[in-house]
Amino acid sequence: MPKVTYITPEGERVVVEQAEGTLMSAAVENQVSGIDGDCGGVCSCATCHVHVDEAWTDKVGPAGEGEKGLLELEDGVEENSRLGCQVKLTPELDGLVVRVVGR
Amino acid sequence: MPEHADPFSHARAEHGWLNVDCDGENVPLILRLKDVRKTCKDTSTFSSDLPPLIVLHSEAHVRDVRQLPIECDPPDHTDYRALVQPLFDRAKNDPDYMESIRSLVDEMVRTAIGKGELDAVRGFALPMQSRALTRLLRMPESEADVWIGWGVHVFHDRDDGGGEGFLLQSYTGGQFRRAEENPGDDFFSYLNQVEFRGRKLTFEEKQGFANVTFAGGRDTVINTVGSIFAYLGDHPEALDFLREDEARILTACEEFVRYVSPLTAIARKCPHATRLLDEQDVPAGGRVALCWPSANRDESVFDQPHDVKLDRSPNPHIGFGFGPHNCLGAPHARLIIRSLLRSLCDRVERVELIKAVPKVEKESSFTRQVGYESVLVRMIPRAAGD
Ligand code: HEM
Ligand code: FES
Repeated sequence: MPKVTYITPEGERVVVEQAEGTLMSAAVENQVSGIDGDCGGVCSCATCHVHVDEAWTDKVGPAGEGEKGLLELEDGVEENSRLGCQVKLTPELDGLVVRVVGR
Repeated sequence: MPEHADPFSHARAEHGWLNVDCDGENVPLILRLKDVRKTCKDTSTFSSDLPPLIVLHSEAHVRDVRQLPIECDPPDHTDYRALVQPLFDRAKNDPDYMESIRSLVDEMVRTAIGKGELDAVRGFALPMQSRALTRLLRMPESEADVWIGWGVHVFHDRDDGGGEGFLLQSYTGGQFRRAEENPGDDFFSYLNQVEFRGRKLTFEEKQGFANVTFAGGRDTVINTVGSIFAYLGDHPEALDFLREDEARILTACEEFVRYVSPLTAIARKCPHATRLLDEQDVPAGGRVALCWPSANRDESVFDQPHDVKLDRSPNPHIGFGFGPHNCLGAPHARLIIRSLLRSLCDRVERVELIKAVPKVEKESSFTRQVGYESVLVRMIPRAAGD
């Protein structure tokens, strides 16, 4: 399972070795500040908003349709915005870096 | 009428809005998910500064305080909300609190199994909601008995449709005075003591916070829980389906909130004349309303929107609202619903439905089911060791 680095809104780097599940669930498991995962990962609450590091946007891929609908109206949305719960962690994402947007 | 039918599909496809006559005022309901979201975000065109008209029909006969933080706009809203947010968020970030709700719900499920025939609305959902709220507000559990006595909706739970007048306000007013004399770590004592922009809250403001806390999270939770029991009774395979995969507790909770959408509409006021969806003129000072249940059945967003899919994901519903005013009690409501589904999976083989009486809301242009008046069920326990 991949290693993922979260940069929290406070600027802290939280490294999760062996991250499992989704970018959201791994963050909640490890109490990464700014990712709450209120809706349990069904793309309803947007409390898992991250900016994917430019070097990783291709591998992570673009947001899906339902996800875009939410992101469109979120504060702090960028080209590289994703909802963490919609990004499944696969071995190809080993080394991934994301910035947590928070509220 | 099929249960939980969607009365808005035609208008949603045709115009995206539906007019409702609210005591002589024409209020267009906004029906499509994307439009509702946009309206929620645009707080200067669509203001929440409209006490006591945040719901379709004025509540002037049951309260004379501005409900906080719901009936105001940013930047006031931001600061008001921040005062109470930590209290509500214990339902998602305080493990002890979360465990206390889980064990409360589990104990209530165990007791309910032993009772045989039971009305899941008044015999289960109502007491559960009240007892869970005592824990959120750090009040003695015995206080729940008083709240249960108020009925399902504290503002209108009488056969004649009349309310209990200012019952809620006089109760919460009494609690603020009690907490003045005898402070503790409860919600009322907290509001008495907390500083807002360098001053204490006024009595009116405190009453406003208490009012929506008691009224907002009551029939919504009860109607959702009643509907869950009716659904499980109608779908004997559902609990087995949930048991197959842990993650389904989470997806099922969201799907029930989407499908039931117990809150029909919440209003906004337009300070300036506004043209809605390029078609409908709203005069300055006029209201529009956000129609959560319609948005949650939007065919352009949800695949087979009128079906309950307990593993639906993604499920971008807005049952808990959207934007700055999104539901403060959502973590608490989710904790209750998830705990209930967990306990039912652990302890109940199946729910037998004896009789369900839908609860229906009638407006000038539509009728919709918001939950059940009563859901008579029997819970069949799982055999030991299952
Ligand atoms: C299934 C249960 C519930 C549903 C479907 C629900 C739905 C909603 C919705 C749609 C809103 C948005 C209102 C708006 O945009 O103006 C809202 C706001 C609110 N809800 Fe809930 N609610 C539920 C449970 C609760 C509970 C349990 C509580 C309290 C214990 C609560 C307290 C509030 C408060 C205080 C607000 C106002 C937030 C603000 O203005 O910032 N709700 N709710
Ligand atoms: S956890 Fe709710 S949208 Fe991602």
